[in-house]
Amino acid sequence: MQLLSQLIKKEFLLEFRQKSTLAGILVYIVATVFISALCFKKIIHPTVWNALFWIIFMFIAVNVSSKSFMQETKGKGLFNYLYYNPRQFILSKIIYNMLLMSVLSLLTFFFYSWFVGSMVQDMGMFLLALIFSSSAFSGVLSLMSAIASKANNNISLMAILSFPVLMPLLLVSVKLSKHAIDGLAWSVSYKYLLILIMLNFVVVALATLLFNYLWKE
Amino acid sequence: MIKWWKIASAIIILYSIIWGLINPVPHLDILNETIRNVYYHVPIWFAMLFQMGYSVVFAIKHLSKNDLRSDIISDQAAQTGLFFALPGLLTGCMWAKFTWGTWWTFQDPKLNGVAIAVLIYLAYFILRSSIPDEQKRARIAAVYNIFAFVMMFVFIMILPRLTDSLHPGNGGNPAFGKYDLDSNMRMVFYPAVIGWILLSLWILDVKKRIAILNHEKNEQ
Amino acid sequence: MKKMNNKIILFVISLLFPFLGKAQSVAAPQMADTFRSEGKIYVVITVISIIFICLIGYLIYIDMKLRKLENKN
Repeated sequence: MQLLSQLIKKEFLLEFRQKSTLAGILVYIVATVFISALCFKKIIHPTVWNALFWIIFMFIAVNVSSKSFMQETKGKGLFNYLYYNPRQFILSKIIYNMLLMSVLSLLTFFFYSWFVGSMVQDMGMFLLALIFSSSAFSGVLSLMSAIASKANNNISLMAILSFPVLMPLLLVSVKLSKHAIDGLAWSVSYKYLLILIMLNFVVVALATLLFNYLWKE
Repeated sequence: MIKWWKIASAIIILYSIIWGLINPVPHLDILNETIRNVYYHVPIWFAMLFQMGYSVVFAIKHLSKNDLRSDIISDQAAQTGLFFALPGLLTGCMWAKFTWGTWWTFQDPKLNGVAIAVLIYLAYFILRSSIPDEQKRARIAAVYNIFAFVMMFVFIMILPRLTDSLHPGNGGNPAFGKYDLDSNMRMVFYPAVIGWILLSLWILDVKKRIAILNHEKNEQ
Repeated sequence: MKKMNNKIILFVISLLFPFLGKAQSVAAPQMADTFRSEGKIYVVITVISIIFICLIGYLIYIDMKLRKLENKN
């Protein structure tokens, strides 16, 4: 447990030392939201608002998660293998990505409502959906970037691998957030929320189990 | 000679073709005679799911025992499954055109599910082709296979049950349910499913032997 | 695919004989009984079966060839 928190702290330190990556993501968020604001002027239809938001979210998620494993060079890889337990290593990366992704998604939502206008009626449900989606997305994407990093660090490979696997997750998130935007009662959206939470568990469990096998390279 | 189950598969499918067209079926609106598609379209999907499941089982086997033979079987099974998805999709489109009025729709979760499944396995083959080293490729591909199968299974099996669907038997379609097949139809349907699964296993068997022969030739 | 085409021809042709359906009530769905009663269904069955048997024959041929290759090693 202690080693785990140490590892997470290490990730945070790395991130703050190289502010460039974080700054890059922030610029990306602001830029995409700004462009959509320019093009759409005022979004009338909630479906369009929803779709655009999730597209931006998806690209940010892929960008953020790809950076986490791409930084591991050959030398660091050997060091990691010798010193760290694989389970703790992947868990630390997943937890770090989850936290980062949650913060970034909230930021995205903030900028989005600032520039384009918020249409959300049930804010609580929407934020819940956002947080659980970002954790599930980061779980899947961490494993995918681990796989891609073993296969010669190809960023486009990671995108190709991740998009189909993310589709079910995306669908549930979009449905849930659409319900939140329309302000439907909790009883209707309940099952989607449960599926999202269940997917979270499934994804994290699978990722930790499977990472052992990737570790041996 | 040829194994018994291969001959059995051919005979069973032939039976389902002949008897399936002559057999009396329930008279239903919208579907009319096309209800007979159940004998052909549905078993192909069962065969595909079976092959994907076979592929995952051998992926797990490879990870636990670390022998290349399991990986070869896993790869060939995924290819066979994808091969069966093609007639499944085409026959589904044709059937849809005549009963639902459109070739494709994005509203039905089962259709989305199979589209995603095809994309996932295409990504699996791209992953395989991007790693030259054999051992590494086998291991990484097995990891992705397991992960992708679980996601696909959730998507195809679980989500359609919860939402509305145009497909008969799920959601709100009154045409016919999976569980009120006429007993006449059952007599052709269940053997047809077994027959097509056995046929897919035959095709897998041939492909697997070719792959193993190639592998052995490359080792020398 | 060819099996599907035949089924569609069946379905379409069954719609072209409405005058034979006057004896039925309006609610009963149209089926291909005319087609069947004129013996044409057996043509369809024979065509499909021949195609299928040819495909199986090819599969058996490949299987035997593989067996010879394996035994040679």
